[in-house]
Amino acid sequence: MAGTTIRTYQLKNGLSLVSEAIPEARAAAFQLMTPAGALTEPAETAGGSSVLENICYRGAGSRDARQISDALDELGIQRGGGADLETTTFAGALLADDLDEALSIYADVVRRPTIPPDQLEGARQLALQRLESIKDNPTQQLFIELSRIYFPGPHGRSPLGSRQGIEAITVQSLREDHRRRYVPDGSILGVAGRFDWDRLIETTERLFGDWEGASPPAPAPDSSGREHYKHIQEQSAQEQIGLAWPEVTAEHPDFYASRVAIQVLSGGMGARLFTEVREKRGLVYSVAAFPRTVRGEGLALAYAGTTPERRQECLDVLIGELRRLPEGITEEELARARTGLLSSQVMQGESCSARAAAITRDQFTLGRIRPLDEVRAGIEQVTTDSVHAHLQRFPPADFTIVTLGPEPVEVKQV
Amino acid sequence: MSIQQQTLANGLTIIGEPKSSAQSMAAGYFVRTGARDESPEVSGVSHFLEHMMFKGTARRSPEDVNREFDEMGAHYNAFTSEENTVYYGAVLPEFQGRLLDLLSDMMRPSLRDEDFNVEKKVILEEIALYQDRPQFTAVDLARHIHYDETPLGFSILGTTRSVGALERDQMRRYFDRRYVPGNMTLTLTGRYDWDAAVPQVDAACAAWGSAAAGRDHPSLHPRSRTHIVTDRRLNRAHLAFAAPGLSAQDPRHRAAGVLAEIIGGSRGSRLYWALIEPGLADTAQLFHDEGDGAGWFGAYLSCDPADAEEVRSRFVKVLEEASHDGIRPDEVSRVTRKIAAGHVIGGETPMGRLTSVGFDWVYRGVVESVDEEADALLAVSAADCGAILDERPFTHLTMVVLGPVGASLEPAGVDKADGTDGAGV
Repeated sequence: MAGTTIRTYQLKNGLSLVSEAIPEARAAAFQLMTPAGALTEPAETAGGSSVLENICYRGAGSRDARQISDALDELGIQRGGGADLETTTFAGALLADDLDEALSIYADVVRRPTIPPDQLEGARQLALQRLESIKDNPTQQLFIELSRIYFPGPHGRSPLGSRQGIEAITVQSLREDHRRRYVPDGSILGVAGRFDWDRLIETTERLFGDWEGASPPAPAPDSSGREHYKHIQEQSAQEQIGLAWPEVTAEHPDFYASRVAIQVLSGGMGARLFTEVREKRGLVYSVAAFPRTVRGEGLALAYAGTTPERRQECLDVLIGELRRLPEGITEEELARARTGLLSSQVMQGESCSARAAAITRDQFTLGRIRPLDEVRAGIEQVTTDSVHAHLQRFPPADFTIVTLGPEPVEVKQV
Repeated sequence: MSIQQQTLANGLTIIGEPKSSAQSMAAGYFVRTGARDESPEVSGVSHFLEHMMFKGTARRSPEDVNREFDEMGAHYNAFTSEENTVYYGAVLPEFQGRLLDLLSDMMRPSLRDEDFNVEKKVILEEIALYQDRPQFTAVDLARHIHYDETPLGFSILGTTRSVGALERDQMRRYFDRRYVPGNMTLTLTGRYDWDAAVPQVDAACAAWGSAAAGRDHPSLHPRSRTHIVTDRRLNRAHLAFAAPGLSAQDPRHRAAGVLAEIIGGSRGSRLYWALIEPGLADTAQLFHDEGDGAGWFGAYLSCDPADAEEVRSRFVKVLEEASHDGIRPDEVSRVTRKIAAGHVIGGETPMGRLTSVGFDWVYRGVVESVDEEADALLAVSAADCGAILDERPFTHLTMVVLGPVGASLEPAGVDKADGTDGAGV
């Protein structure tokens, strides 16, 4: 983006401060990301990362739950974040002038939660309720199951946890988990929008400089030995179909070619999946393919929802398009995909929240921020030949499939 | 950052809010039509038509439309509500001319038979998709019952039966009646070129005729009703409520939004402390939906079926306490700051501003800048919220419950004698 400036600063305790100054912005957005996702939570308290994140807002520093909530609202903070597979994030966006004050509240929330015993039951019940709600949300349930069977190990965990795990959580286990996993080492504070860089460094040093602790090692992703098909029986109106297959990571030289290939599949209403599955055959309302990265491994996912009697045709057409991709893409498809990716970059640059999330995620997965010029050059250098070569090396194949609905599908070619 | 506006000879209005520092521009046709402008036998036609508008014109095939959006790298889509249908795209400024050519051409669609028949299947899939989302079904049903057989309660999607029976000529007649220039607004935001846009659009829509389209405003007689749908396939109790609210034209519409956020915003609201914090419900939200000539308060709660009665009773208690004791100034001050900051942050992008600017004009005939909007919000007082509560909107409360629950829940409203009914699935 014209005029934005990326700067980083490393604190001695391991916390990385990353930033992107956006001229003309009136807002600032931040993400305080700790590497405390479901991946590294104790197996016997599965769901503990989500409960810990929730209870941090129920008392921290000198404030109780209501005082925290009121203080954040006073500043007009648009709150975000939550516990995820690899990380737990505390995020917000607000008018730029109040950034320092917001960060000082969040420093309490993240570093000094009181974990009040009388708040445990509320946090636990809420976590159990959220777990139960998944059963009335077929698409979300599908993706949780797809991750679970794609990664047989800890990378297959859902941040929502399990009933047994949530019930086993105690105040003691939360305090211990907080001490062990909410640490500066491996944590990232990402800020985008309008701010004074020198002052931001000073504020960060003041609020987080004396934070201590080394992060526990995270296991490497392992999708070997994964299952290839699972059906979940539900009397739903639509059959949900989800697929996952291996893709390259963001460090791989094929990265931009792989993103163009997925864009050709699913980058717009003129892309292949929408055209073949929806426009020509009317098989779905929703069909899409998208990349997902965990640190150390890449994968791609595809989704379609169709009425049960058409489930087999829908799956066959979807897989047919994935398998056809290595035959190559046209120059016109390449041009559209590149324009789409470049245009998304520019438009993302207009939103402080989107940029804060992007730079923080880059720092987490790559250990550095890709400057926008580098991303632009990466996209522009992709050719039909490089996409073709990538797809020869990494053809969409070896699918893991989950269906949810009244009847299973017949899975061929696996 | 002043508003630009011009009404063309045929009645089409173009409205623009420029932002020279933006990297992109957004454009959208806002058509003042939706489910409430349908007759029951064509229920769902507004939304089905929205899909058909992407299916080509005299100059373009369906593939051309999608391909051209993608060639521009556009972020584009359309949506249909109870009373508006909006077609929009955001692009880099260099594509403005192409985007306006495409969107304007789309406003005069071919509505070909073969496309109609394939797209009907897509609509039926969309209806099935929402059948699997009880949170959507519950709120939609509450609105439907609240509006009591009037068109304001009509379904946006329609039913499998109404869409299945719909014929192309019925859609064409609906289109001819509703998609007239006097019923349409083109909205521009971001880094656009006004002097290029106006003559281009003027030429593009010269042949559209110059008719206007009206709209009925049925009289409403809200009362309390309870509707329980026992569905053993569901895992949770899904509770939805509806009560009379304020229209978008009502000068107090902003205070109604503030009131809803104080009572039932997703975080830090009265419902949050009463139901989410203790872990009794995992969702408990109240919202205000301001519409053309009429508005409504809606609520959605999700909980364990065994707790449904407790959740219902706490929800009603929160409303009653607000009605009797009013709202505190500190609550108003926090919520207005939060909403105002949200407007500024959401308004950063041309795409984020597009619907605010467009709907401001469609409903009120004026467009407020982000700063004017923020100032007006910060001026809302506890007395303004109290004045709305003094009219006792929550006396007439429609309640819908979906889930594995029996028909034994207490009705919700104060005038409880209006009747309870139930249905099994």
